[in-house]
Parts: sequence; C-alpha cells; structure tokens
Amino acid sequence: MTPRRTDGPARNVASQSSTDPAGGARSAAWASWLGAVAVILGVFLTAVHANELLKQVVLVRNAPPDGRMPAAVCPEEELEEEGLTAAECEHMVTNVGGLILSAPAWFAGFMAALSLAGTIVAFLSIVAGAALVGGRAWAPVAAAATFGALAAVDAAGFVAAVNAGPILRQLYLAERLLWLLIHLMMTLGAIAGMRFSRAARAA
Amino acid sequence: MARQGYSPTAVVIHWLIAVCIFFLFVSSWWMMGLPLPSDELTFRELPFQLHKNLGITLLAALALLLYVRLRHRPAPAPDRAARPWMHRLAAADHVLIYVLIVAVCVSGYLSSSYTRWGTTLWWLVELPDWADEDEAMNMLFSDIHLWTAWALLAVVAVHVGGALYHAFRNDGVVRRMLR
Repeated sequence: MTPRRTDGPARNVASQSSTDPAGGARSAAWASWLGAVAVILGVFLTAVHANELLKQVVLVRNAPPDGRMPAAVCPEEELEEEGLTAAECEHMVTNVGGLILSAPAWFAGFMAALSLAGTIVAFLSIVAGAALVGGRAWAPVAAAATFGALAAVDAAGFVAAVNAGPILRQLYLAERLLWLLIHLMMTLGAIAGMRFSRAARAA
Repeated sequence: MARQGYSPTAVVIHWLIAVCIFFLFVSSWWMMGLPLPSDELTFRELPFQLHKNLGITLLAALALLLYVRLRHRPAPAPDRAARPWMHRLAAADHVLIYVLIVAVCVSGYLSSSYTRWGTTLWWLVELPDWADEDEAMNMLFSDIHLWTAWALLAVVAVHVGGALYHAFRNDGVVRRMLR
C-alpha cells in the first residue's frame, strides 16, 4: 500500500482531506516534523536562557565591589561531599573571578536583558511548534517569526561575546553560533513549508 | 466521552513541568561549579534556594497533573500508531518518569534537611527543619538525588525520542499533547 501523502492539498498547514487516527485534521508532514523539533528545542532553550539570566543576576549580586575575590574556603567534609580536591575548590573562586574580570561594564545588563527576551521567545516557540503540529492556520507565520526572533537573539549574543573579553568569548561564541545556525535553519524551514503549503493549496 | 487529546490544563502543566525539569538540570550543572559558600562567598545562595523552591513546586505541579489526567482521560492513542511493545514501553516510561520526579524532589529536599541550609519557600515561608544536621544522611540522600536525577534524564530521553518518532510519522499521537 502506498503511504498516504500528508502534505497534499492543504488548508494552510492542515490537510483538507486527511484526518489523523485520533480524529481532526492532520497537519502537513513538514509542519509536524518542524513543530515537534521546535517544541523539544524550545523547552531546552527556555531553560538555557533562564539559566543565563540567573547567571548574570548571581554574578552581579555577588561580585566584590573592589573586584578582588575573597580567598576560597574549602572544608574537608564539603570537599568530600562534592568530590572536589582543594585545588579545584580554589579554582572555582578563580574561575568566577575571571568571569567577572573579563566582562565589560555593559555585559551583565545586556546579557540579562537578552536572556530574558530569549526566555520569553523560546517559550513562545514551544507554543508555535505545538501549533504547527496541531495544524493551526496561523502557525507557520508565528513559527517563522519566533524562530527568526530567536536567531536575532543568538546573533545579538554572538556580537556581545565578540566584543567581550577572551574568557567570555571562549565560553559563549561556539554555543551562540550553533544556536544561530539551528534557528536560521528552522526559520527557513518554516518559510519554505509555508510556501509549499500555499502552492499545494493553489494547485 | 473521552477527549481526543489531553485537557488544556494537562497540556499546559505538562509543558511547564518539562521546562522546569530542564531548567533544574541546566542550572544545577552550572551552580555546582560556583565557589563553596563562606561568609564572603555567597554565590550559591540564590541558585540553591531557587533550585529547592522549583523542586518543591514541581512536586505540586506533578500532583496537579496526575489529578487532571485522572479526571479527564483522553481517548487511547490510535491503534495503528505503534506496535504493542511500544505501547508497553511508553506506559512504563511514563510511570518511571512520575516515580523518578517524586524520588528526585523528595531526596533533594531530605538531603537539604540534614544540612545547616534551611529552605524558605519562595522567600516567603520558612520551612521547618525536619532533622538535625547529619553529614552521613545528607550524603546518602544527596547520592540518591544525584542518581535518580541521571535516571530521570535517561527516561526523559526515551520519552522525547518516542514523541519525535510519532511526530515524524505524523500519526496523530503527539497532537494529543499539543492542542
């Protein structure tokens, strides 16, 4: 039996003629795939951006006013509990001190605002992805807009990291570039899928 | 009559729980690299309180999800959507996820209870100390917390893999949780 095409004559992303076994219009294949990927990545990215916001808040709130980090305190029982050596314990303080030292004055505020925007848009991308899977008429436009917005957030983060110190660059650049590429692909996928569905509807 | 998909409340809680779990993982990996606490080094204070608060809230959200799921049962997944062993795997994976979420949250809270670090629920309600400080008990529950968390990540990966499989088949199963 030939598999049924699910991206044939379509009413926006939903096929007019086919229904899924649970009832209701079945979404186009591209919309189901892209939507599911968007939901999974959106859940993870919401967490990542929220964690970045937390990072900036924690670093700013606890940074010593004179920029000099206090000495590490490494009690034996805590080292054992966390599986750390004394050298690692001391490095944790140096590491955080390096992050604070390497950040220009504008960096924490900018990244906090950017990660707040990223958290909101990433959450919206979950909604857009779910709408794609659900075959909602507005879903492709919403998906293209949210994925594009996420790409813009990634690009802004990339530019910010480029203009920060070397310690922050090595932390942020590759990750930001990877997310930027993923979101560009998803944006183009949503746009291409939208055009495909429109063409199929017109045919 | 059973709904075709899960109830909107169940859908919203499910995705909030998903975001919460991933945030707890990502933030915990980061916060464990922060300096050990002292009078002058307080970097861990906010993330640890937030971690404990989200864990406790997650338990409440899970209880609400189970209540809603029991009250509003969706129609069974389409028969042609998966083979019998897949149905069994999915059912077992769901149960494991619920059990592990409870185990991770409870062991985390108990671990914290045996330390000198108290928990203030959302910075409003001071939770009572259930136990005296005890390093051995703290270590025990801390280990349980750690390993149940890794196990939870593994079963969530199976859950996500199953969802993607059905989404790529476009067989209507995933739509039930995305309405």
